[in-house]
Amino acid sequence: MAAPPRHVSMLSISNSNTGAPQSASSDKPQTPQPSPSPQPTSGLRVPSNRKTIYDRHLNRSRNAELSRASFAYLFAEMVTYAQRRVTGIQDLEKRLNEQGYPLGLRLLDLLFYRSTSTSSSALSSSSTSSSPPNRPLRILPLLHLIHGPLWRLLFQRSADALEHSVSPDTPNEYMITDNDPLVNTYISVPREMNMLNCAAFIAGIIEGVCDGCGFEAKVSAHNQPTEMWPSRTVFLLRFGDSVMEREKVLERNGVK
Amino acid sequence: MCAHPNPTDRAGGLIYQREFQAGLRKLSTNDYLVLAGTFHGVHAITRSITPKLPLAPSTSPVASSPGTTAPATSGYSYPNPGVPATGLEFLETDKFHLTCFQTLTGTKFLLFTDPLTGNVDTIMNKIYELYADYVMKNPFYQLEMPVRCEAFDRHLGAWLRGRT
Amino acid sequence: MPVYSFYIFDRHAECIYKRRWLPRPTSIAGKPSRATDAQAGSTGLGQTVKAGDDDAKLVFGTVFSLRNMVRKLGGEEDNFVSFTTSQYKLHYYETPTNIKFVMLTDLKSPSMRIALQQIYINLFVEYVVKNPLSPVEHPGGVGVNNELFEESLEQFVTRVLA
Repeated sequence: MAAPPRHVSMLSISNSNTGAPQSASSDKPQTPQPSPSPQPTSGLRVPSNRKTIYDRHLNRSRNAELSRASFAYLFAEMVTYAQRRVTGIQDLEKRLNEQGYPLGLRLLDLLFYRSTSTSSSALSSSSTSSSPPNRPLRILPLLHLIHGPLWRLLFQRSADALEHSVSPDTPNEYMITDNDPLVNTYISVPREMNMLNCAAFIAGIIEGVCDGCGFEAKVSAHNQPTEMWPSRTVFLLRFGDSVMEREKVLERNGVK
Repeated sequence: MCAHPNPTDRAGGLIYQREFQAGLRKLSTNDYLVLAGTFHGVHAITRSITPKLPLAPSTSPVASSPGTTAPATSGYSYPNPGVPATGLEFLETDKFHLTCFQTLTGTKFLLFTDPLTGNVDTIMNKIYELYADYVMKNPFYQLEMPVRCEAFDRHLGAWLRGRT
Repeated sequence: MPVYSFYIFDRHAECIYKRRWLPRPTSIAGKPSRATDAQAGSTGLGQTVKAGDDDAKLVFGTVFSLRNMVRKLGGEEDNFVSFTTSQYKLHYYETPTNIKFVMLTDLKSPSMRIALQQIYINLFVEYVVKNPLSPVEHPGGVGVNNELFEESLEQFVTRVLA
């Protein structure tokens, strides 16, 4: 697993982000700056009451909505960025996957936090059978977690299908289908790159969530267009051997 | 109804051309390119020949001497003060109507319609919207290059089919 | 309904007549300047109004390019009737003999196709073409600038169209 470098990059990002407001606010007593009125430093803007997004209650933005257009522009830039100096489509998908991975790891915490704090009210409509334990131990609860709550957290709806591989050779493969992935809404892939699916970013998020739960997995996104859904995407989850072995042991012991 | 939306870019290069219903004569790709370039020039000229109306108070002392055309140079206003002068926006012929919409960033959309087609503005707005969505938000579209976005084609076609 | 200007181009792409009307006759300035303009139009072109002369060329270029474009798209017999910008409306009429009549008006004016045709039939043919003293061609506007044509055009625009 290429986890360490991912962690490093993600830590450094968060440090620089949180660092800016702190240093800006702690500047005041120490350095007697000649012009104290407007801070000339560009970049992160800090509200005057010092309430940054980090000071807010996590559940406060629970139902907040994000502009779809700004997300589309941001994602377009992310794809453009990932496209620089790539060697091929697989390389590009790998980079997108790597962009999503740390997001998945962190989202998991938020997901658990939110699903437990309001489990009594929100559970009635959820598709997961029982009150979710803090961490899924078996594959099926994990998949339900991804298919339902994770998808709702990200896209405000569940994924469209969840399947187990029918082939006996690959019992470790599972498929989650999204008929119209949000990230691909505005993207037209050029013909010469028709194997590419930018939802590799989502695959990275799923991979991060799986890893965060202790399920080693490889996740990839594949185009499976239909007449009705031209950007239908199948996320293929391949769990590692260790996971499959553990799964057998847990099944024998009757752990759910 | 027949319609060709042709976004032409800021320098007058044709970046998209599509015919939805036969009605106008078919031209070669090269002819369309020439046409777009010509229109780009004409559009600029039509703005520059906007009538300039001399402002009344400033001219009164000078204009009494015949033969001088001095007043027109200093103070003048456009017929529709308050509205910025634009180039050609709508052209009418016996066989078709041409509507030109220029975005704030200079991209022009040319829509050729049957004279009986109504609500051209609605069509134009929708095309602009689809362009903003499926072309400008597409990371694989390079600015100023020909538009080859399958999602744009698909949505545009579907929307126009839904109208007729 | 204000008419801003009026142009005639012959088959050699030359501007043989032009005239500008400046609205707002309320001020004292309106009338003299109108007179000078009319004079410039009647005494031939290129004498006094420099900017205006370029204007005529630009108008012709526009009309010519648009006409070609329309023919390319709509077929040989198609012709454009008018176009509008945010500020004005340009009306166009071409005779079978390739003489082009162009009129710039404000945006609210209805189609001027009939009016331009009237100017052609009732004024141009009557007072210019049928005038034995007028030459066949009108280089520099010679022959169009006769009093009868001028007067009746003035009347037509200010009374009939206004």
